[in-house]
Amino acid sequence: MKDKYLHTLRKVLEEHQALANDIDDILNDYEQLYNDALASGKTDDEVWHILGDPKEVAKDLIDTIHLKKEKDIKTKIVASMPFISLIIFFLLGFTKNLWHPGWLVFLMIPISAILFETKLKDGIVGIMPFISVITFLILGWGYDLWHPGWVVFFAIPIVAIIVNVDLKDIPVSLSPFIATIVFIILGVQYELWHPGWLVFLIIPMIGTLYHKNKVQVLVLELSYILAISFYLYVGYTYDKWYLGAIGFILPFSFSIIFGVIKITVDIRNDKKARIFVGLVLAIIFLFFALGFGLHGWVWAWQVLLLIPMAAIIIYDKLRFTSLMPFISVILFFSIGYFFTLFHLSWLAFLLIPLVAVIENA
Amino acid sequence: MNTQFKKGIVEMCILSLISRKDMYGFEVIDTLAKAIDVNENTVYPILRRLTAQGFFETYVEQTNIGAPRKYYRMTDFGRKKLNQYETEWRSFLEGVLKILGGNYEG
Repeated sequence: MKDKYLHTLRKVLEEHQALANDIDDILNDYEQLYNDALASGKTDDEVWHILGDPKEVAKDLIDTIHLKKEKDIKTKIVASMPFISLIIFFLLGFTKNLWHPGWLVFLMIPISAILFETKLKDGIVGIMPFISVITFLILGWGYDLWHPGWVVFFAIPIVAIIVNVDLKDIPVSLSPFIATIVFIILGVQYELWHPGWLVFLIIPMIGTLYHKNKVQVLVLELSYILAISFYLYVGYTYDKWYLGAIGFILPFSFSIIFGVIKITVDIRNDKKARIFVGLVLAIIFLFFALGFGLHGWVWAWQVLLLIPMAAIIIYDKLRFTSLMPFISVILFFSIGYFFTLFHLSWLAFLLIPLVAVIENA
Repeated sequence: MNTQFKKGIVEMCILSLISRKDMYGFEVIDTLAKAIDVNENTVYPILRRLTAQGFFETYVEQTNIGAPRKYYRMTDFGRKKLNQYETEWRSFLEGVLKILGGNYEG
């Protein structure tokens, strides 16, 4: 318990960019306090309560510690970025007549703020909307690949999952996105919407791998393979796909018998999960409806940004700072695309640092 | 009670305790907690701040429970400041007690 307390305190102080000397000094003092409290007969829980939550302690200590110079330098870089961007923008414009796409340099403002002023994990997640937009624009303007170039926006939730989810949970968390991307590629490039939808079966097949009983896992995976083979055989040979679909009763039954299908139960019991799953399905439906119905592939991808936004609102505190990268991307692209005002719509990205400053002031 | 107000009082109590004898961190926390209702976790940050402001100096002494212990000793500057705070506090308290007792000039 003592080591955990001291370790957490060190971590929080490091996050506050405290100087190593200060951290060592404080840690020494807290180790003494901890030892003295234990020696006086207190339990670990009591000591933890007496010394206080390490995060709160670090906040109380903030005016007694020296911050790293690096933090000052980073802050200066972020603060001067608007001017640097403006100078580069004018230089590109006046000397090379590159007003467009020279305005892209303004993306350096939110990018530098995210990289320098947030923790590494948050920075990587926060930077993804920009990388996706830039990649998307290069694919669109450079190669006229607006569709299926929008697939790059899947990188936003995928990176967020990779960074935030435990290593062992990454495959199952990523499987819906991977399946969707493969499904779209099969459909768009090879007209294989059917039976391309079978790729979605990798979601339960990967999920099944987490089941503890390995014999049951083997039986289940084999039942999936058998069901898929049967479906394809009956479908292609006799053109009776609905008969082939009967095969899926096999893995479904095994899943119930082995108790693998319990996600549904969890979702039923968890109000937040129920709302989130409902929203994800609605958003995906809306995306395809806009894509197929209005041929809006160029812009419909924006509704997919509602998925990570919904996750933030449902599972985290409602903080506009976290939502702004997504809102800015939507404003930037919608104003730029629908009104051909890309030379002005980049201003939407200034909202990110602005909102962060207002909300965190 | 207002947190800042309470912190101010705790700060003065810490100054007063250490003006009487040199003390180590947990000793201050324990003594205060036995005498008044205080958030123990606010004590060390106050000790550290007052030390940084020159009210205390520290020295290390060996103990029989293992690692050496850091003691806080009041400086002349700290003593001077404590006298000033005490005068202000007593006068303030006197006024408050007068008002609470209805013994004041309208």
